[in-house]
Amino acid sequence: MSHANDRLFDHKLAREWKLKKSRAEKDKRMTLQEAIATLVEDGDSIVETGFAYVRGPMAAYWEIGRQRKKNLVGIFTPGGMNTAWHEFGGLEGAHVAYVGVEMRGLISPFRRGVEAGTLKVYSEWSHGALSLALRAAEQGVNYVACKSMLGTDLMRTNPYVKEARDPWTGEPVCLVPAMYPDVAIFHVHHADKYGNSRIWGPSVNDTAIAIAARKVIVTCERIVSTEDIRSNPYQVIIPHYCVDAVCEVPYGAYPGDMPGMYYFDRRLQERVVRVEWKTRESTKEWYEKYILGTKDHYEMIQLIAEEEGMNVLEYMKRLEQLSCDASYFGLGYWGVGGERDWRYEEVAKRAI
Amino acid sequence: MSDIQYTPRELLACVAARLIKDGESVFVGTGLPLVGALLAKKMHAPNMMAIYECGAVDPEPRVLPWSVSCSWTTYKAPIILSMSSVFGHSRAGYADVGFLGGAQIDMYGNINATCIGDYYHPKVRLTGSGGANDIASLCERVIFMGLHLPERLPERVDYITTPGYLDGPGARERAGLVGGGPWRVITHLGVMGFDEETCRMKLISYHPGVTPEVIQQFTGFELIIPDDVTETPKPTEEELRILREEVDPNQLFCF
Repeated sequence: MSHANDRLFDHKLAREWKLKKSRAEKDKRMTLQEAIATLVEDGDSIVETGFAYVRGPMAAYWEIGRQRKKNLVGIFTPGGMNTAWHEFGGLEGAHVAYVGVEMRGLISPFRRGVEAGTLKVYSEWSHGALSLALRAAEQGVNYVACKSMLGTDLMRTNPYVKEARDPWTGEPVCLVPAMYPDVAIFHVHHADKYGNSRIWGPSVNDTAIAIAARKVIVTCERIVSTEDIRSNPYQVIIPHYCVDAVCEVPYGAYPGDMPGMYYFDRRLQERVVRVEWKTRESTKEWYEKYILGTKDHYEMIQLIAEEEGMNVLEYMKRLEQLSCDASYFGLGYWGVGGERDWRYEEVAKRAI
Repeated sequence: MSDIQYTPRELLACVAARLIKDGESVFVGTGLPLVGALLAKKMHAPNMMAIYECGAVDPEPRVLPWSVSCSWTTYKAPIILSMSSVFGHSRAGYADVGFLGGAQIDMYGNINATCIGDYYHPKVRLTGSGGANDIASLCERVIFMGLHLPERLPERVDYITTPGYLDGPGARERAGLVGGGPWRVITHLGVMGFDEETCRMKLISYHPGVTPEVIQQFTGFELIIPDDVTETPKPTEEELRILREEVDPNQLFCF
């Protein structure tokens, strides 16, 4: 068992770490390169945020790849394209609830790694149980007793959960311990320089994860003023005191979906996952060209745009606009991208 | 009967839709289950409410989405909760029907979405549970949709990711599971249910052009075939019109 897993359920260590974090409103802005270099250490456990390919911190994941971090342990609830780290020694093992792209199928590097025995699966979870492990950490309880996973092979292949009897009713329950990952990286719509973070769309497990994790990096589409956050705290899901770094990374979820801003680059994602990552060699080739061969996220997007012969970001924004209208966000979303480039009213009228 | 032309997927979407009653809440994933749910909403179940594991509840259908969490899925949802909340609400009793897929389903309705072969040395590593285990553990009725091939319907699955009736009568209760368990299995050959006494899979209807004998041949265990099995009703013109014009106009899912 890796060192990262020993720490994963250690609530004393997690508390000691957090007692040392500053509560002060401190300017935590830095470049993504700096944040990854200083906060992600080889061997860390790193938990998936958002919903893998929806509001996933893809720019940060590719930066982890560029910096050739080693032996990370993934917590996949669900997990996605970052499993490609495995081909370069970046991902040693995983705690798995789900790794895949829904209807688009399996993700080859993960599948290959597990089948070959090079990628260790430390524990098998359901989404519900894993979300409760993180929620337990946030709620400050040692464990929760739930009704998921009972009677199945998940119980047999997860050394951390236990079956027990409810002391009141005597019926079987599955005990899920509080989980404290080493690192969590979030991609959000707005953050202030202290780390207070606002999103649109589903928060999934993010508030729980932000409190559970020891080290927290926030990447955002746009830095906003603290006045902005304080005057409208309703969609703020991460408080500043747990955040260690704030990085402004527009289009940081590409090629994933950023609710209200841009949709998946589904064509690219499908091609990569199904075709370009089909073999270990082809995955390495892709990774060397697009990740290791580019200096940052924007050079990668530029490369993809040139090959596609189109402005992929505009394309994704238009796709998103197909599903959005002003009422979705209450106030509309002028200015989300920093510029008045959101002609959603026109598009919404024409679309569908 | 008229010669209505339809694709196999269109039939499956119609079968799924007919199993949803008006006013029910449906825990749903993307793909054909969602198409079925939306068809039901536009036909006989306008008060059907969808729940997605990302936390979105009762969004308005507009464009068929590609993910259970994306912005097309959550469109105009009156509330977007967290993942642990929607599963919690299912446990509390707010989820009537759960739709699931998976690589294998056995005669007791147990589903495998984890691996083919031995877990520790898998021939094929699959996605893992995702929300499937929770949906089958917590929702009241579970509907499985998938392909009908002998290796996909074995006597016992290689790995139980998602509980059906486990190893037979009384096992769900002994394990402490909450929901009623597997209810219907929709495949490209027919519709199955489960025998009340033995908890074993039984044939309910065979799709047009298929016979119970063919279905048995494509099943890896002995299927209970009652005398009263019928042919699955074909899609109606109205169902196909709504499916093609309103639910899936680009034929993304019902090709």
